[in-house]
Amino acid sequence: MANATKQNFDPTLPVNMIDLTCQQVDSIYQYMLTKGMPEIMWTVDIQKFYWEEIRDAHKNGKKLIAFGGPVPVAVLRAFDCVPFFLDTIPTRIASMEDLCGRFIDETEKYAPTSMCAIDKAQLGCAIKGEFGVEFDAFVHATLACDSARIAYPIMERLFDCPCYTFDLPFRHDTKGIQYVADQIDPFTKWMEELTGLKWDAERQAKIREINEESNKAYSLLIELGNLRKKTPCVLPGRMLVLNEIIAPLAGVSAVTEMLQTQLEMGNMLIDMGMTATRCPEERYRVCLMQNMLWSNTGIMDWMEKTYGAVTVMDGFGYQDGIIFDDLDNWERVKFQMAQGFLFVPMIHGATGPTDYWLKVIDKMYEEFNVNVSIFMGHVGCKHTWASGKIVTDYIQEKYGIPTLYVDVDAIDPRYKSNDELRAQIGEYMESVVGAERF
Amino acid sequence: MSYEKLFETNISGESAKAWKTSGKKAVGYVCCHVPTEILLAADVMPVRLRATNCVDSSNAEAWMSSFSCSYARSILQYLMNGTYDLDGLVQSDGCMMATRILDNWEHIAKKDGKKQFIHQVGAPRITNEATIGYYKTELQELADKLGEFSGTKVTDDGLKAAVIKTNEARDLIAQLYELRKEAKVSGTEALRIMLASCDMAIDEYNSALKEFLADAGSREPIEARARLMVIGSALDNPEYIKVIEEKGGLVVTDSLCFGSKAFGENLVVDDEDVIGSIAKYYLTRNTCPRALDNRPAIHKEIVDACKEFNIKGVIYEKMQNCECWGGEAFYLEPALKAIGIPMLQVEREEQMANVGQLAVRAEAFIEMIEL
Ligand code: SF4
Ligand code: SF4
Repeated sequence: MANATKQNFDPTLPVNMIDLTCQQVDSIYQYMLTKGMPEIMWTVDIQKFYWEEIRDAHKNGKKLIAFGGPVPVAVLRAFDCVPFFLDTIPTRIASMEDLCGRFIDETEKYAPTSMCAIDKAQLGCAIKGEFGVEFDAFVHATLACDSARIAYPIMERLFDCPCYTFDLPFRHDTKGIQYVADQIDPFTKWMEELTGLKWDAERQAKIREINEESNKAYSLLIELGNLRKKTPCVLPGRMLVLNEIIAPLAGVSAVTEMLQTQLEMGNMLIDMGMTATRCPEERYRVCLMQNMLWSNTGIMDWMEKTYGAVTVMDGFGYQDGIIFDDLDNWERVKFQMAQGFLFVPMIHGATGPTDYWLKVIDKMYEEFNVNVSIFMGHVGCKHTWASGKIVTDYIQEKYGIPTLYVDVDAIDPRYKSNDELRAQIGEYMESVVGAERF
Repeated sequence: MSYEKLFETNISGESAKAWKTSGKKAVGYVCCHVPTEILLAADVMPVRLRATNCVDSSNAEAWMSSFSCSYARSILQYLMNGTYDLDGLVQSDGCMMATRILDNWEHIAKKDGKKQFIHQVGAPRITNEATIGYYKTELQELADKLGEFSGTKVTDDGLKAAVIKTNEARDLIAQLYELRKEAKVSGTEALRIMLASCDMAIDEYNSALKEFLADAGSREPIEARARLMVIGSALDNPEYIKVIEEKGGLVVTDSLCFGSKAFGENLVVDDEDVIGSIAKYYLTRNTCPRALDNRPAIHKEIVDACKEFNIKGVIYEKMQNCECWGGEAFYLEPALKAIGIPMLQVEREEQMANVGQLAVRAEAFIEMIEL
């Protein structure tokens, strides 16, 4: 298909995913260096930092902990471990047809094709034993998502390392949050055993430091959100995708710096009366539900260029973030951490009652001045689809905006071609929204 | 009283209607993690929702999309089209498809101005002291709310009385499985009987089942080419088993949530903590792979059942879009292979559109086992 890229690897030989990814990121980095593109180097710096930290964890004497779903990453870092968010493998390879196919097809030998490709890709990589790194532990959560229920128990056995599971409740109220918060202390005990380090004053000071840094990052993310509320939106839709890297890196200065640079760039563009989007003129403000289309982020560029339709926010991926309001009060910190777990709308957190999404929708549609609504439904995420009509009816009734439903695979580029997707969106833009092409 | 009603698979709503005429409430529930004892103790008739014989779920599909499990959306269809005319819905988050029945029904009922008791019970997906404790609080909340709704407060005595009745049903079903072991009851009949428990009042069900068992004991064993076990997604259609049995298989046991998994061992009550005993019972039994820590135990139970029931082959049916039951082959198939038992994997939908294909595959499988 047109938008998918091929990678240089020998499909007949085992792949080392971490090494391969580090090489790919490095070659982009080198290319940008030689081309002299200092104003966007920060978009690659953060990826370089993330992947090389994983690759070098053992070399640097640190334990490498694979994780899935919302788990207390700050606790992992406080115990001097390197967290590896397994979802970043599928999201990283989403546009690479051959790598994606390699892992997804492997999983489909044992599991249904209907399973979410985020889980299929990481499980396939695990079955083939091709992460290229050994894990010292695997920490995950019982997600709402049924696909993860296939993947995690199998991966637990394949990784053959100590595992810890957080139980996430369906309810998203105080009781549910407290239930999750109460699981954090037992987890620190488990981490003590795993690492041989004590949950003592030193470690607690460390987590305070991490959370303080995380506060900075999430404050910046909120400011970036505020920036996107302005008309015209100065930041392109694809930047939303990059910001999702905050999940494994909140509390690390590299991500704070990346967000800071992004904010400075946005403010500078405003001062200069310019935008970083691809459109000559912003005509439409799009809210894209539900998942990010990692397999074709270029579609957002195309919408900008063709119709002046800028994705100002991605509905179910909306990240409000948690700002710890009392860093010295551990009970409060745990509660807020738990809140963070339950209120990450997607990235495996798409749990809980549909009602919660309606609140997110209100935030999106009221504050971001949205006038085009697209439910770009990831086929694997069936429970989100099963809420689709409630959500889109609500948007129609309250905001008077009809929503386009389009089925995509957020990870597997083979599901729908770029041309097909463009045709679907184009028809909607032209016949329902009444948009004209530039 | 005759036991004919045990074999009626259509959802008539007759028992619920009779129950309601006496001014009492009847409430639907989906999934095995809603303890019926609590509903019974509140003097509410529990109706386990199923989608048997639903031929068209297109209205529900508009709400849940074509990517949903057709069993779940057919239940929503039955709620929407009035096949079920109940006072409410209690749901646990067994899987997300089942869970979304509640979200959608709550929304639709509100829109249609239909007054419903709607309650969600959170059932943890790992089992330890802390999660059982949490589940207990969820059950207590259900008990309190149901008591308010029905006007009959849920008490320890009420719960204990309900447990006596549900344990009686469990004992009777255990006897039914003994008859299955002796090949005196077919898999089709057994599933019909177990489905009847979904919408019959428990006293009526227990007496009918007792009568049936008394008669069935004197039957001659059924001749069959292969003794089979069926495992997998929610299966509420006896016709499915019938297709397999018409090809010479005899389904003598199962790992199904409308089958053996819905009943299980007796619930033992600790007088000091009645609701806690119910929580522990329901969370520790391995009903389905909805949890993250029960796979090895479920697989072991399947392997053990194969030995106990002298099984020659396992049919693993997976509902399309059912991720909950979708990924068991990876470890289960080798475990069955180790004891010499082959497994046939078949995809299916609630609406039995591919009967011919099932028949062909079942026949080929049975032939292979016979050799
Ligand atoms: S996209 Fe949906 S189905 Fe896929 S992993 Fe996330 S929550 Fe689960
Ligand atoms: S058949 Fe599977 S997906 Fe459907 S309700 Fe049951 S467990 Fe859920």
